[in-house]
Amino acid sequence: MKCDWVRQNILFYVYNELEDDARYEVEQHLGRCPECATELKATRKFHATLSENVQEPSPNLLALSRMRLQEALETTRQGGLWHRMILEPAAWLRQIRMAPALAAVIFIVGFGGGIGATYNFLAAGHESDGTITSSVGGGKQAANQPLEASTITGIRSVTQEPGSNQVSIKYDTVSTQEAQGSLNDQRIQQLLLFAAHTNYNSGVRMDSVDVLTQAPDDSRVREALLYALQNDTNAGVRLKALDGLSGFVRQDPTVRDGVLRALISDENSGVRMQALHLVEPMKADSNVRSVLTRLSQTDQNPSIRSQAKAMLAQMPEMD
Amino acid sequence: MAAQGNRIDDTGLIREAQQGNRAAFEVLVRHYDQSVLRLALHLTGSESDAQDVYQEAFLKAYKNLGSFRFECSFYTWIYRIVTNLCLDHLRKRNVRKEDAPVAVDSSGEEYSRIEQFADARSGANPERDLMRRELGRKIGSALTQLTPRERMVFELKHYHGLKLRTVGEMLNTTEETAKNTLFRATQKLRAALLEMR
Repeated sequence: MKCDWVRQNILFYVYNELEDDARYEVEQHLGRCPECATELKATRKFHATLSENVQEPSPNLLALSRMRLQEALETTRQGGLWHRMILEPAAWLRQIRMAPALAAVIFIVGFGGGIGATYNFLAAGHESDGTITSSVGGGKQAANQPLEASTITGIRSVTQEPGSNQVSIKYDTVSTQEAQGSLNDQRIQQLLLFAAHTNYNSGVRMDSVDVLTQAPDDSRVREALLYALQNDTNAGVRLKALDGLSGFVRQDPTVRDGVLRALISDENSGVRMQALHLVEPMKADSNVRSVLTRLSQTDQNPSIRSQAKAMLAQMPEMD
Repeated sequence: MAAQGNRIDDTGLIREAQQGNRAAFEVLVRHYDQSVLRLALHLTGSESDAQDVYQEAFLKAYKNLGSFRFECSFYTWIYRIVTNLCLDHLRKRNVRKEDAPVAVDSSGEEYSRIEQFADARSGANPERDLMRRELGRKIGSALTQLTPRERMVFELKHYHGLKLRTVGEMLNTTEETAKNTLFRATQKLRAALLEMR
Protein backbone atom coordinates (compact mmCIF):
# COMPACT_ATOMS: atom_id res chain seq x y z
CA MET A 1 0.00 0.00 0.00
CA LYS A 2 1.28 3.41 -0.91
CA CYS A 3 2.21 5.94 1.75
CA ASP A 4 0.37 8.66 -0.26
CA TRP A 5 -2.95 6.92 0.16
CA VAL A 6 -2.38 6.42 3.89
CA ARG A 7 -1.39 10.05 4.43
CA GLN A 8 -4.52 11.24 2.69
CA ASN A 9 -6.59 9.09 5.00
CA ILE A 10 -4.82 9.58 8.31
CA LEU A 11 -7.02 12.57 9.11
CA PHE A 12 -10.19 10.51 8.59
CA TYR A 13 -8.63 7.70 10.64
CA VAL A 14 -8.19 10.14 13.54
CA TYR A 15 -11.73 11.47 13.06
CA ASN A 16 -13.07 7.90 12.98
CA GLU A 17 -14.50 8.32 9.50
CA LEU A 18 -12.98 5.30 7.77
CA GLU A 19 -14.82 2.12 6.85
CA ASP A 20 -13.64 -0.98 8.74
CA ASP A 21 -11.63 -2.32 5.78
CA ALA A 22 -9.79 0.95 5.17
CA ARG A 23 -9.19 1.35 8.86
CA TYR A 24 -7.61 -2.08 9.03
CA GLU A 25 -5.39 -1.33 6.03
CA VAL A 26 -4.22 1.95 7.57
CA GLU A 27 -3.41 0.26 10.88
CA GLN A 28 -1.46 -2.49 9.13
CA HIS A 29 0.55 0.08 7.20
CA LEU A 30 1.24 2.24 10.25
CA GLY A 31 2.67 -0.80 12.01
CA ARG A 32 5.41 -1.18 9.43
CA CYS A 33 6.02 2.40 8.19
CA PRO A 34 7.70 4.70 10.75
CA GLU A 35 7.26 7.80 8.55
CA CYS A 36 3.51 7.39 8.34
CA ALA A 37 3.45 6.61 12.08
CA THR A 38 5.17 9.98 12.65
CA GLU A 39 2.53 11.63 10.48
CA LEU A 40 -0.19 10.01 12.60
CA LYS A 41 1.44 11.39 15.74
CA ALA A 42 1.56 14.88 14.22
CA THR A 43 -2.10 14.70 13.15
CA ARG A 44 -3.14 13.57 16.63
CA LYS A 45 -1.20 16.42 18.18
CA PHE A 46 -2.82 18.91 15.84
CA HIS A 47 -6.25 17.45 16.70
CA ALA A 48 -5.55 17.71 20.44
CA THR A 49 -4.23 21.28 20.15
CA LEU A 50 -7.39 22.46 18.45
CA SER A 51 -9.55 20.60 20.95
CA GLU A 52 -8.07 22.57 23.81
CA ASN A 53 -9.54 25.82 22.60
CA VAL A 54 -13.20 25.19 23.27
CA GLN A 55 -15.48 27.97 24.41
CA GLU A 56 -18.75 26.88 26.02
CA PRO A 57 -21.72 29.25 26.29
CA SER A 58 -22.17 30.38 29.88
CA PRO A 59 -25.31 29.26 31.78
CA ASN A 60 -26.16 32.94 31.98
CA LEU A 61 -26.15 33.35 28.21
CA LEU A 62 -28.24 30.19 27.79
CA ALA A 63 -30.81 31.35 30.37
CA LEU A 64 -31.08 34.76 28.72
CA SER A 65 -31.45 33.28 25.26
CA ARG A 66 -34.20 30.98 26.50
CA MET A 67 -36.08 33.85 28.11
CA ARG A 68 -35.81 36.01 25.02
CA LEU A 69 -37.08 33.17 22.88
CA GLN A 70 -40.01 32.46 25.21
CA GLU A 71 -40.98 36.09 24.99
CA ALA A 72 -40.80 36.11 21.21
CA LEU A 73 -42.80 32.88 20.94
CA GLU A 74 -45.66 34.52 22.77
CA THR A 75 -46.21 36.86 19.86
CA THR A 76 -45.30 34.46 17.06
CA ARG A 77 -47.77 32.40 15.14
CA GLN A 78 -47.06 29.10 13.44
CA GLY A 79 -47.60 28.86 9.70
CA GLY A 80 -51.32 28.09 9.36
CA LEU A 81 -53.14 25.47 7.36
CA TRP A 82 -53.62 27.77 4.35
CA HIS A 83 -49.96 28.70 4.35
CA ARG A 84 -49.00 25.04 4.37
CA MET A 85 -51.48 24.03 1.73
CA ILE A 86 -50.45 26.77 -0.65
CA LEU A 87 -46.74 26.18 -0.15
CA GLU A 88 -46.87 22.42 -0.14
CA PRO A 89 -48.62 20.49 -2.86
CA ALA A 90 -47.96 17.27 -0.90
CA ALA A 91 -50.23 18.55 1.84
CA TRP A 92 -52.93 19.11 -0.77
CA LEU A 93 -52.69 15.52 -1.90
CA ARG A 94 -53.01 14.31 1.67
CA GLN A 95 -56.09 16.49 2.11
CA ILE A 96 -57.63 14.99 -1.01
CA ARG A 97 -57.01 11.49 0.31
CA MET A 98 -59.00 12.47 3.40
CA ALA A 99 -61.77 14.07 1.34
CA PRO A 100 -64.48 11.37 1.68
CA ALA A 101 -64.14 11.32 5.48
CA LEU A 102 -64.14 15.13 5.56
CA ALA A 103 -67.28 15.29 3.41
CA ALA A 104 -69.05 12.87 5.76
CA VAL A 105 -68.06 14.98 8.80
CA ILE A 106 -69.27 18.20 7.13
CA PHE A 107 -72.58 16.53 6.28
CA ILE A 108 -73.14 15.26 9.84
CA VAL A 109 -72.13 18.58 11.43
CA GLY A 110 -74.30 20.52 8.98
CA PHE A 111 -77.28 18.30 9.61
CA GLY A 112 -76.86 18.49 13.40
CA GLY A 113 -76.33 22.25 13.26
CA GLY A 114 -79.48 22.71 11.23
CA ILE A 115 -81.56 20.82 13.78
CA GLY A 116 -79.95 22.76 16.64
CA ALA A 117 -80.62 26.13 15.00
CA THR A 118 -84.27 25.27 14.40
CA TYR A 119 -84.67 24.22 18.04
CA ASN A 120 -83.03 27.46 19.31
CA PHE A 121 -85.20 29.61 17.08
CA LEU A 122 -88.38 28.01 18.43
CA ALA A 123 -87.16 28.23 22.03
CA ALA A 124 -86.26 31.94 21.65
CA GLY A 125 -89.75 32.63 20.42
CA HIS A 126 -91.18 31.34 23.71
CA GLU A 127 -88.78 33.36 25.90
CA SER A 128 -89.06 36.72 24.21
CA ASP A 129 -91.36 38.30 26.81
CA GLY A 130 -89.10 40.80 28.63
CA THR A 131 -86.30 38.51 29.78
CA ILE A 132 -83.65 40.51 27.89
CA THR A 133 -82.74 43.37 30.20
CA SER A 134 -79.86 45.13 28.44
CA SER A 135 -80.45 48.67 27.33
CA VAL A 136 -78.49 50.99 25.11
CA GLY A 137 -77.43 54.50 26.03
CA GLY A 138 -76.37 54.76 29.65
CA GLY A 139 -78.31 51.79 31.02
CA LYS A 140 -77.01 49.46 33.78
CA GLN A 141 -76.63 45.81 32.84
CA ALA A 142 -76.83 42.57 34.74
CA ALA A 143 -73.35 41.21 35.31
CA ASN A 144 -73.83 37.50 34.86
CA GLN A 145 -74.14 37.43 31.08
CA PRO A 146 -70.93 37.42 29.07
CA LEU A 147 -70.34 40.37 26.79
CA GLU A 148 -69.43 40.26 23.14
CA ALA A 149 -65.75 41.29 23.50
CA SER A 150 -65.66 43.02 20.14
CA THR A 151 -68.38 45.44 21.26
CA ILE A 152 -66.27 46.92 24.11
CA THR A 153 -64.38 49.99 22.93
CA GLY A 154 -62.91 51.18 26.24
CA ILE A 155 -63.27 51.22 30.04
CA ARG A 156 -64.00 54.57 31.68
CA SER A 157 -63.67 53.71 35.36
CA VAL A 158 -63.40 50.84 37.84
CA THR A 159 -64.68 51.35 41.38
CA GLN A 160 -64.86 48.79 44.16
CA GLU A 161 -67.32 49.30 47.00
CA PRO A 162 -65.23 49.45 50.22
CA GLY A 163 -65.46 46.32 52.37
CA SER A 164 -67.25 44.23 49.74
CA ASN A 165 -66.45 42.45 46.53
CA GLN A 166 -68.94 44.54 44.57
CA VAL A 167 -67.39 46.30 41.60
CA SER A 168 -68.82 48.97 39.37
CA ILE A 169 -67.36 49.43 35.92
CA LYS A 170 -68.26 52.11 33.38
CA TYR A 171 -67.43 51.00 29.88
CA ASP A 172 -68.01 52.17 26.34
CA THR A 173 -69.57 50.28 23.51
CA VAL A 174 -71.05 52.65 20.99
CA SER A 175 -72.05 54.67 24.03
CA THR A 176 -71.02 54.37 27.70
CA GLN A 177 -72.48 51.46 29.68
CA GLU A 178 -72.18 50.45 33.28
CA ALA A 179 -71.99 47.01 34.80
CA GLN A 180 -72.20 46.14 38.49
CA GLY A 181 -71.64 42.89 40.23
CA SER A 182 -69.36 40.83 42.39
CA LEU A 183 -65.80 39.85 41.50
CA ASN A 184 -67.03 36.36 40.74
CA ASP A 185 -69.36 37.50 37.97
CA GLN A 186 -68.28 36.52 34.53
CA ARG A 187 -68.99 39.89 32.94
CA ILE A 188 -67.14 41.81 35.65
CA GLN A 189 -64.11 39.56 35.25
CA GLN A 190 -64.25 39.97 31.50
CA LEU A 191 -64.31 43.77 31.76
CA LEU A 192 -61.49 43.83 34.30
CA LEU A 193 -59.28 41.66 32.09
CA PHE A 194 -60.11 43.87 29.14
CA ALA A 195 -59.22 47.00 31.13
CA ALA A 196 -55.92 45.53 32.34
CA HIS A 197 -54.92 44.55 28.81
CA THR A 198 -55.94 47.30 26.54
CA ASN A 199 -57.15 50.49 28.15
CA TYR A 200 -55.58 53.77 27.14
CA ASN A 201 -56.05 55.32 30.60
CA SER A 202 -53.31 54.17 33.00
CA GLY A 203 -55.41 55.13 36.06
CA VAL A 204 -58.07 52.65 34.94
CA ARG A 205 -55.45 50.00 34.21
CA MET A 206 -54.11 50.56 37.72
CA ASP A 207 -57.60 50.17 39.26
CA SER A 208 -58.39 47.05 37.30
CA VAL A 209 -55.03 45.42 38.06
CA ASP A 210 -55.59 46.34 41.70
CA VAL A 211 -58.95 44.57 41.75
CA LEU A 212 -57.59 41.61 39.79
CA THR A 213 -54.83 41.04 42.35
CA GLN A 214 -57.60 39.93 44.71
CA ALA A 215 -58.27 36.87 42.56
CA PRO A 216 -54.84 35.67 41.39
CA ASP A 217 -55.89 32.01 41.72
CA ASP A 218 -57.65 32.30 38.40
CA SER A 219 -55.17 31.43 35.63
CA ARG A 220 -56.66 34.07 33.30
CA VAL A 221 -56.10 36.70 35.98
CA ARG A 222 -52.50 35.59 36.41
CA GLU A 223 -52.06 35.77 32.67
CA ALA A 224 -53.44 39.34 32.65
CA LEU A 225 -51.14 40.31 35.53
CA LEU A 226 -48.14 38.85 33.69
CA TYR A 227 -49.17 40.73 30.58
CA ALA A 228 -49.38 43.97 32.57
CA LEU A 229 -45.98 43.27 34.17
CA GLN A 230 -44.35 42.82 30.79
CA ASN A 231 -46.14 45.37 28.68
CA ASP A 232 -47.70 48.13 30.71
CA THR A 233 -46.02 51.47 30.11
CA ASN A 234 -46.86 52.67 33.62
CA ALA A 235 -44.38 51.50 36.29
CA GLY A 236 -47.08 51.79 38.99
CA VAL A 237 -49.27 49.30 37.14
CA ARG A 238 -46.29 46.95 36.70
CA LEU A 239 -45.55 47.16 40.44
CA LYS A 240 -49.17 46.42 41.24
CA ALA A 241 -49.09 43.41 38.93
CA LEU A 242 -45.91 42.16 40.62
CA ASP A 243 -47.67 42.48 43.92
CA GLY A 244 -50.54 40.33 42.69
CA LEU A 245 -48.17 37.67 41.39
CA SER A 246 -46.07 37.51 44.55
CA GLY A 247 -47.72 34.38 45.94
CA PHE A 248 -47.10 32.35 42.77
CA VAL A 249 -43.40 32.77 42.10
CA ARG A 250 -42.59 29.50 43.81
CA GLN A 251 -45.34 27.30 42.40
CA ASP A 252 -45.87 28.62 38.87
CA PRO A 253 -42.82 28.51 36.56
CA THR A 254 -44.49 30.88 34.07
CA VAL A 255 -44.86 33.48 36.82
CA ARG A 256 -41.25 32.90 37.87
CA ASP A 257 -40.00 33.41 34.31
CA GLY A 258 -42.10 36.56 34.00
CA VAL A 259 -40.67 37.99 37.21
CA LEU A 260 -37.12 37.08 36.08
CA ARG A 261 -37.74 38.82 32.77
CA ALA A 262 -38.85 41.93 34.65
CA LEU A 263 -35.77 41.64 36.84
CA ILE A 264 -33.50 41.72 33.82
CA SER A 265 -35.25 44.05 31.47
CA ASP A 266 -37.62 46.37 33.32
CA GLU A 267 -36.33 49.91 32.94
CA ASN A 268 -37.66 50.98 36.33
CA SER A 269 -35.32 50.18 39.21
CA GLY A 270 -38.23 50.12 41.70
CA VAL A 271 -39.87 47.32 39.71
CA ARG A 272 -36.55 45.47 39.46
CA MET A 273 -35.98 45.85 43.20
CA GLN A 274 -39.47 44.51 43.98
CA ALA A 275 -38.88 41.59 41.57
CA LEU A 276 -35.59 40.89 43.33
CA HIS A 277 -37.42 40.56 46.66
CA LEU A 278 -39.91 38.16 45.10
CA VAL A 279 -37.28 35.77 43.74
CA GLU A 280 -35.22 35.77 46.92
CA PRO A 281 -36.79 32.58 48.32
CA MET A 282 -36.03 30.90 44.98
CA LYS A 283 -32.38 31.86 44.79
CA ALA A 284 -31.22 28.25 44.70
CA ASP A 285 -32.97 27.78 41.34
CA SER A 286 -30.35 27.71 38.56
CA ASN A 287 -32.20 30.25 36.36
CA VAL A 288 -32.63 32.61 39.29
CA ARG A 289 -28.99 32.18 40.20
CA SER A 290 -27.74 33.02 36.74
CA VAL A 291 -29.97 36.10 36.61
CA LEU A 292 -28.65 37.18 40.03
CA THR A 293 -25.07 36.73 38.80
CA ARG A 294 -25.81 38.90 35.80
CA LEU A 295 -27.52 41.55 37.93
CA SER A 296 -24.66 41.63 40.41
CA GLN A 297 -22.33 42.51 37.54
CA THR A 298 -24.31 44.60 35.12
CA ASP A 299 -27.35 46.26 36.71
CA GLN A 300 -27.20 50.03 36.46
CA ASN A 301 -28.47 50.46 39.98
CA PRO A 302 -25.71 50.00 42.63
CA SER A 303 -28.20 49.03 45.30
CA ILE A 304 -29.60 46.21 43.10
CA ARG A 305 -26.07 45.07 42.25
CA SER A 306 -25.08 44.88 45.90
CA GLN A 307 -28.31 43.20 46.94
CA ALA A 308 -27.89 40.57 44.21
CA LYS A 309 -24.30 40.03 45.35
CA ALA A 310 -25.44 39.64 48.94
CA MET A 311 -28.07 37.10 47.93
CA LEU A 312 -25.50 35.11 45.96
CA ALA A 313 -23.07 35.23 48.86
CA GLN A 314 -25.66 33.68 51.18
CA MET A 315 -25.93 30.63 48.94
CA PRO A 316 -23.76 27.56 49.25
CA GLU A 317 -21.31 27.18 46.34
CA MET A 318 -22.69 24.97 43.61
CA ASP A 319 -20.82 23.36 40.72
CA MET B 1 -22.59 16.90 20.95
CA ALA B 2 -24.84 15.98 23.84
CA ALA B 3 -27.92 16.28 21.72
CA GLN B 4 -26.53 13.92 19.14
CA GLY B 5 -25.04 11.53 21.67
CA ASN B 6 -28.37 10.63 23.19
CA ARG B 7 -30.60 11.25 20.19
CA ILE B 8 -34.08 11.34 21.64
CA ASP B 9 -37.22 10.24 19.91
CA ASP B 10 -38.95 13.56 19.45
CA THR B 11 -41.78 12.34 17.22
CA GLY B 12 -44.50 12.81 19.83
CA LEU B 13 -43.28 16.26 20.82
CA ILE B 14 -42.97 17.38 17.20
CA ARG B 15 -46.51 16.23 16.39
CA GLU B 16 -47.88 18.07 19.43
CA ALA B 17 -45.92 21.20 18.54
CA GLN B 18 -47.20 20.97 14.96
CA GLN B 19 -50.71 21.09 16.37
CA GLY B 20 -49.88 24.39 18.07
CA ASN B 21 -48.76 23.14 21.50
CA ARG B 22 -46.15 25.73 22.44
CA ALA B 23 -45.09 23.92 25.61
CA ALA B 24 -44.14 20.87 23.52
CA PHE B 25 -42.09 23.11 21.25
CA GLU B 26 -40.30 24.59 24.25
CA VAL B 27 -39.37 21.09 25.44
CA LEU B 28 -38.00 20.38 21.97
CA VAL B 29 -35.99 23.59 22.12
CA ARG B 30 -34.41 22.54 25.40
CA HIS B 31 -33.24 19.25 23.86
CA TYR B 32 -31.11 21.07 21.32
CA ASP B 33 -30.60 24.67 22.31
CA GLN B 34 -27.31 24.23 24.14
CA SER B 35 -25.65 22.76 21.04
CA VAL B 36 -27.25 25.41 18.86
CA LEU B 37 -26.00 28.23 21.07
CA ARG B 38 -22.53 26.68 21.21
CA LEU B 39 -22.36 26.44 17.42
CA ALA B 40 -23.58 30.01 17.00
CA LEU B 41 -21.15 31.31 19.61
CA HIS B 42 -18.16 29.55 18.03
CA LEU B 43 -18.98 30.74 14.55
CA THR B 44 -20.03 34.30 15.26
CA GLY B 45 -17.56 34.94 18.08
CA SER B 46 -20.01 37.26 19.75
CA GLU B 47 -22.52 36.57 22.53
CA SER B 48 -25.05 39.00 21.15
CA ASP B 49 -24.76 37.64 17.58
CA ALA B 50 -25.01 34.12 18.95
CA GLN B 51 -28.19 35.08 20.81
CA ASP B 52 -29.62 36.55 17.61
CA VAL B 53 -28.85 33.42 15.60
CA TYR B 54 -30.33 31.25 18.39
CA GLN B 55 -33.50 33.32 18.45
CA GLU B 56 -33.91 33.50 14.70
CA ALA B 57 -33.26 29.78 14.24
CA PHE B 58 -35.87 28.62 16.75
CA LEU B 59 -38.46 31.17 15.63
CA LYS B 60 -37.95 30.01 12.05
CA ALA B 61 -38.32 26.41 13.19
CA TYR B 62 -41.50 27.27 15.10
CA LYS B 63 -43.07 29.06 12.15
CA ASN B 64 -42.17 26.31 9.68
CA LEU B 65 -42.72 23.30 11.91
CA GLY B 66 -45.84 22.46 9.89
CA SER B 67 -43.65 21.72 6.90
CA PHE B 68 -41.42 19.29 8.82
CA ARG B 69 -42.22 15.88 7.30
CA PHE B 70 -39.94 13.56 9.31
CA GLU B 71 -37.77 12.98 6.23
CA CYS B 72 -34.71 13.64 8.36
CA SER B 73 -34.21 13.87 12.12
CA PHE B 74 -35.36 17.04 13.87
CA TYR B 75 -31.77 17.49 14.95
CA THR B 76 -30.58 17.61 11.33
CA TRP B 77 -33.45 19.92 10.41
CA ILE B 78 -32.79 22.49 13.16
CA TYR B 79 -29.03 22.33 12.51
CA ARG B 80 -29.68 22.98 8.82
CA ILE B 81 -31.50 26.17 9.80
CA VAL B 82 -28.73 27.24 12.19
CA THR B 83 -25.90 26.46 9.78
CA ASN B 84 -27.60 28.52 7.04
CA LEU B 85 -27.97 31.46 9.40
CA CYS B 86 -24.36 31.15 10.56
CA LEU B 87 -23.09 30.86 6.98
CA ASP B 88 -24.95 34.06 6.13
CA HIS B 89 -23.38 35.68 9.16
CA LEU B 90 -19.86 34.50 8.23
CA ARG B 91 -20.25 35.65 4.64
CA LYS B 92 -21.41 39.08 5.75
CA ARG B 93 -18.51 39.29 8.17
CA ASN B 94 -16.02 38.27 5.50
CA VAL B 95 -17.34 41.10 3.36
CA ARG B 96 -16.92 43.51 6.26
CA LYS B 97 -13.47 42.02 7.00
CA GLU B 98 -14.02 42.11 10.72
CA ASP B 99 -12.27 38.94 11.59
CA ALA B 100 -10.40 39.83 14.73
CA PRO B 101 -10.82 37.16 17.39
CA VAL B 102 -12.51 39.64 19.65
CA ALA B 103 -15.99 38.97 20.96
CA VAL B 104 -18.65 41.29 22.30
CA ASP B 105 -20.55 40.24 25.40
CA SER B 106 -24.21 40.95 26.09
CA SER B 107 -23.39 44.23 27.82
CA GLY B 108 -21.61 45.46 24.70
CA GLU B 109 -18.10 45.20 26.10
CA GLU B 110 -15.35 43.70 23.97
CA TYR B 111 -13.22 40.90 25.29
CA SER B 112 -10.81 38.42 23.83
CA ARG B 113 -12.39 34.97 23.52
CA ILE B 114 -8.99 33.47 23.85
CA GLU B 115 -8.10 35.38 26.98
CA GLN B 116 -11.37 34.41 28.55
CA PHE B 117 -10.59 30.81 27.74
CA ALA B 118 -7.20 31.09 29.35
CA ASP B 119 -8.60 32.86 32.39
CA ALA B 120 -11.11 30.15 32.98
CA ARG B 121 -8.28 27.69 33.35
CA SER B 122 -5.74 29.92 34.99
CA GLY B 123 -3.92 28.09 37.65
CA ALA B 124 -0.69 28.59 39.48
CA ASN B 125 1.39 28.75 36.30
CA PRO B 126 1.23 32.21 34.66
CA GLU B 127 3.82 31.25 32.04
CA ARG B 128 1.69 28.34 30.89
CA ASP B 129 -1.37 30.59 30.83
CA LEU B 130 0.46 33.02 28.63
CA MET B 131 1.43 30.27 26.20
CA ARG B 132 -2.09 28.95 26.13
CA ARG B 133 -3.41 32.41 25.47
CA GLU B 134 -0.92 32.86 22.65
CA LEU B 135 -1.87 29.52 21.14
CA GLY B 136 -5.55 30.44 21.39
CA ARG B 137 -4.87 33.66 19.53
CA LYS B 138 -3.08 31.75 16.78
CA ILE B 139 -5.89 29.23 16.43
CA GLY B 140 -8.45 32.03 16.28
CA SER B 141 -6.45 33.74 13.58
CA ALA B 142 -5.92 30.49 11.62
CA LEU B 143 -9.67 29.76 11.68
CA THR B 144 -10.39 33.09 10.03
CA GLN B 145 -8.38 31.97 7.01
CA LEU B 146 -10.95 29.30 6.16
CA THR B 147 -13.86 29.93 3.82
CA PRO B 148 -17.27 30.03 5.57
CA ARG B 149 -18.07 26.53 4.31
CA GLU B 150 -14.71 25.10 5.39
CA ARG B 151 -15.14 26.73 8.77
CA MET B 152 -18.62 25.23 9.12
CA VAL B 153 -17.56 21.69 8.17
CA PHE B 154 -14.57 21.88 10.50
CA GLU B 155 -16.72 23.20 13.35
CA LEU B 156 -19.40 20.53 12.93
CA LYS B 157 -16.86 17.72 12.68
CA HIS B 158 -14.20 18.79 15.15
CA TYR B 159 -16.16 20.58 17.88
CA HIS B 160 -19.56 18.92 17.52
CA GLY B 161 -18.33 15.43 16.62
CA LEU B 162 -20.88 14.91 13.84
CA LYS B 163 -20.43 12.23 11.20
CA LEU B 164 -19.47 13.62 7.79
CA ARG B 165 -22.58 12.01 6.30
CA THR B 166 -24.73 14.10 8.70
CA VAL B 167 -22.65 17.21 8.00
CA GLY B 168 -23.28 16.68 4.27
CA GLU B 169 -27.03 16.30 4.90
CA MET B 170 -27.08 19.51 6.95
CA LEU B 171 -25.24 21.48 4.31
CA ASN B 172 -27.22 19.98 1.41
CA THR B 173 -24.20 18.30 -0.06
CA THR B 174 -22.66 14.82 -0.26
CA GLU B 175 -20.53 13.03 2.29
CA GLU B 176 -17.69 13.02 -0.22
CA THR B 177 -17.81 16.80 -0.62
CA ALA B 178 -17.89 17.27 3.16
CA LYS B 179 -14.87 14.95 3.40
CA ASN B 180 -12.92 16.95 0.84
CA THR B 181 -13.85 20.22 2.54
CA LEU B 182 -12.68 18.91 5.92
CA PHE B 183 -9.40 17.78 4.40
CA ARG B 184 -8.84 21.19 2.83
CA ALA B 185 -9.76 23.00 6.04
CA THR B 186 -7.35 21.01 8.20
CA GLN B 187 -4.53 21.41 5.65
CA LYS B 188 -5.04 25.17 5.73
CA LEU B 189 -5.18 25.23 9.53
CA ARG B 190 -2.02 23.18 9.89
CA ALA B 191 -0.18 25.37 7.42
CA ALA B 192 -1.39 28.54 9.13
CA LEU B 193 -0.35 27.29 12.56
CA LEU B 194 3.06 26.18 11.29
CA GLU B 195 3.66 29.59 9.72
CA MET B 196 2.90 31.27 13.01
CA ARG B 197 5.49 29.32 14.98
